[in-house]
Amino acid sequence: MTEEIFLERGCYYDSARLMAVARELRVVSGVVDAEVMMGTAMNRALLADTGFSNANLDAAGPMDLIVAVRAGSAQAIVAVRTKLATLLSGREAASSASSAGLRSGESGGPVTLLDALTAHPAAALVSIAVPGAYAAFVAHRALDAGRSVFLFSDNVPIADEVELKRRAVGAGLLVMGPDCGTAILAGVGLGFANRVPRGPVGIVGASGTGTQEVSCILAHAGVGISHAIGTGSRDLSHDVGGLMTEMGVNLLAADVMTEVVVVVAKHPHADVAARLHAVFAALGKPVSVRYLGEAGRGVIDGVTYTDSLDEAAAVAAAHVQGKARRPAEVTQAPVSRDAVIGSSPGSGQPSVTGRLIGLFGGGSLAAEAAHVLACHGLPTSTPQAVLRAGRPLPGDGHLIVDTGDDVYTVGRPHPMIDQIARCELIRAVGGDPDVGLVLLDLVLGDGSHPDPAPEIAEAVREAGRTRATPLAVVCSVCGTTADPQGLRRQEHVLHEAGIEVTATAAQAATLASRLLGAGAGRKA
Amino acid sequence: MNARDLLAGVPEVIHLGLDTVAEAAAATGSRVTTVPFLPPAGGEPARVAQLQRVSCGSLGVTIDAANQRAVDRFFASRPHLVGIALARDVIAGMADDLFLHAGPPISWERMCGPLRGAVMGGMLLEGLANTTEDAAALAAGGRVRFEPCHHHRAVGPMAGLITPSMPVFILEDVDGPGRGNRTFCTLNEGLGKVLRYGAYSDEVLIRLRMMRDELAPVLATALVAHGPIDLRLLMAQALQMGDEGHNRNRAATSLLLRELAPAIVRTAPDSEAAARVLEFIHRNDHFFLNLSMPMAKCMLLAAEGEDLSSMVTVMARNGTDFGIQISAMPGRWFVGPADMVRGLYFPGFSEADANPDIGDSAITETAGIGGFAMAAAPAIVQFVGGSAEDALATTRAMGRITIARNPTFAIPALSFAGAPTGIDVRLVEELSLLPTINTGIAHRSPGIGQVGAGLVNPPWACFHDALAAFTEHCLAHAPENVASEEA
Repeated sequence: MTEEIFLERGCYYDSARLMAVARELRVVSGVVDAEVMMGTAMNRALLADTGFSNANLDAAGPMDLIVAVRAGSAQAIVAVRTKLATLLSGREAASSASSAGLRSGESGGPVTLLDALTAHPAAALVSIAVPGAYAAFVAHRALDAGRSVFLFSDNVPIADEVELKRRAVGAGLLVMGPDCGTAILAGVGLGFANRVPRGPVGIVGASGTGTQEVSCILAHAGVGISHAIGTGSRDLSHDVGGLMTEMGVNLLAADVMTEVVVVVAKHPHADVAARLHAVFAALGKPVSVRYLGEAGRGVIDGVTYTDSLDEAAAVAAAHVQGKARRPAEVTQAPVSRDAVIGSSPGSGQPSVTGRLIGLFGGGSLAAEAAHVLACHGLPTSTPQAVLRAGRPLPGDGHLIVDTGDDVYTVGRPHPMIDQIARCELIRAVGGDPDVGLVLLDLVLGDGSHPDPAPEIAEAVREAGRTRATPLAVVCSVCGTTADPQGLRRQEHVLHEAGIEVTATAAQAATLASRLLGAGAGRKA
Repeated sequence: MNARDLLAGVPEVIHLGLDTVAEAAAATGSRVTTVPFLPPAGGEPARVAQLQRVSCGSLGVTIDAANQRAVDRFFASRPHLVGIALARDVIAGMADDLFLHAGPPISWERMCGPLRGAVMGGMLLEGLANTTEDAAALAAGGRVRFEPCHHHRAVGPMAGLITPSMPVFILEDVDGPGRGNRTFCTLNEGLGKVLRYGAYSDEVLIRLRMMRDELAPVLATALVAHGPIDLRLLMAQALQMGDEGHNRNRAATSLLLRELAPAIVRTAPDSEAAARVLEFIHRNDHFFLNLSMPMAKCMLLAAEGEDLSSMVTVMARNGTDFGIQISAMPGRWFVGPADMVRGLYFPGFSEADANPDIGDSAITETAGIGGFAMAAAPAIVQFVGGSAEDALATTRAMGRITIARNPTFAIPALSFAGAPTGIDVRLVEELSLLPTINTGIAHRSPGIGQVGAGLVNPPWACFHDALAAFTEHCLAHAPENVASEEA
């Protein structure tokens, strides 16, 4: 085994491009592993963690490209070098920042954010998906120019988030993020967003996939979205204090199209939840809240704390459809589709034994599924160690894994974009004879993988071929018929592979619990 | 615009980074402008943090205002050529044992070949040594002291050597906040073997004596007869005639000659003397460089000392080190190693012969001319890539790192947009875009002279150190900022 690290000094490539390059290098014959990263302190630490150790790592700076290769032979390393040169020459990034400035200047378009802000005074929003270390600076620049921010980047220090959001509140601007996956403003989607109709429900979401799930459930019920304002995953933490959630609901309160408000977040800090409760209660419009992972608490001071995303959507839909029901009565989302699509006869009956392993792309959907399973008497846990294909599964209980978690996405795109790593896990986990049921989600819409179902279906088929007993697979599909991937086609492909398909993660978890013969009713 | 406006209609979006994040917006009807992203401050976390402090938020606005004040003072400056005299008689602090040189402070031990050569020539010129060997030994032994020209409000091209008996142009600011400021520069010797490139042979010394004994007195007398010359307006005309004020000074030299010729003819001791002076100037296309430089220095002096300004007020090189100063901290050098010039070489010379970047002439770029006004000088575009478009791109790029456009120094090829003026250390770091400097290339050995010309950038160290010190300075000197940090 040969290991080599080499540097290309004085250059810059964005991480998305380098991930694609690394992916190409990994398939070079004889290559065991290849990583291609800019030499930031964080990336150097990541590479060291993956076992690469070389004096070259310490010599690299943020504007140096690090190429780390493990291969079976020296020839493979040579092949990597050749391929790398080809890959990077296709659209050669600037060899120096200075010449980049000159070169781009010739085309006449804006070459810097400052130029673009000047050239586009009406652009009310700056969308930022740059490495976290630089994201706060860029966001400040947007606020300097009086623009709101959609901040997709993660790994932004929380002190920066607090500073940005305090500035934004003072200036009457939105800072959606950091780590904001989804927003829909006046019909315009940002990040991962489904094609949903416009309508009377406003969403404020600290959770991207949670927001997508609610917007899709509503769309299936024929109810549209006024705006979906993202806040970033940490907005309801003690440090941030729910600043953008508060601003978001107040904006929706003032918005004429919005009749009812849905708030989606994960695990709010108790003080923040208490403070926001007063805001929600005084909003003047109905508010339906889903705090993921927490049990519903019914209606308090006119604010409905629901037990699932499905219920949060149902409450909102019921409000706008003028038939407000008490939330206790709401047990099923008012979806127009069958709750279970194409289930084989006898499905829904206890028929499966073995472990349940959930492999989710959406972190919020994973939390939602875990909560629903727990309510059905199926406790799950999150594995302490990172699941790896080829390693035995930890423990002997049911597991829920968020494959979009940072530990799974080092050097790779999110599973909603690139499913290779998740499919590998599906094959490995599904092939394990102790596993009886695999629980999945699939999120469609703009920003997501252009055609995800065939890869998932193929992985499930391969897993099935390696085992003696049948494997049950349940997958929720978050999407609308207007989404570019084609909802019906995606569902069909999954169904053809023997996968039980549901419209929501909560429904998938409910079906899974039934298949495993768990408690007849909810405990909660 | 506030967030409520954002929700009022289909929002227009500016996007940076991962492309897929903006796909949804484009697909759902928004107008999306994608900006290529380069990490600010070279991606170094500590500098990104510094930049965030001084570029963003209320402190950023405060510093923007200070920079505007500094550059307004620069624009209000009115440098005039008012006289010519010997250095020892007019430069404050000049002494018989003091030699001034280009760039930041340096000892004999660290001096490059051309600067040593110029010092040796100066020793011979001043009669402090009789042989070149003596000159070198005496200079090494501390017979004279060395100080930067900039410490005495003077500037000098290449080696920039000013010795006590050399004649110097006297410039005076006659208006604005800098009124009364005087700056100084020697008279330009011409090309070939010259002291400023480290040559010290007899022909060099003979020319220097002629300049002291005939050129300077004739010009000084003519100038008295003519009266002060507004160099700023002369420069403005030259920029519209193909000069950029650093590597091309042909138009400005001609304009000066035209201006002074009648007075020279009238006041010279005889017509032969007048003809020799006119010929000397005529034969030297760079004669005006030694006026564009002190003009730039004079205007930049007016911009110095604005407490929270990050405007660069000095860029200078001694052939070993490159140093810059900023308005908020006058007199404090931020120094890094002088780079090699990327250039075109005279026949018979190559990069192997070249000395690192040298001279105070980068004061022209600091003042928005020279490389910054490249678009004005199509005749010398081979230095920036060969096409007129390259020259326009250079000036436009410099517009990104500067505070303002000089309304007086208009550039025809850019529809009379002003020269980009007032380098902002913060913008250099934010955009990772260094100033472009046009410059001559000196041979690395003393006594040989110019071997080419080309482009050079300052080293990053100058700007990194300046940003760090400026950030510290601002956090200590902007009390309202400290208060808002705590709030």
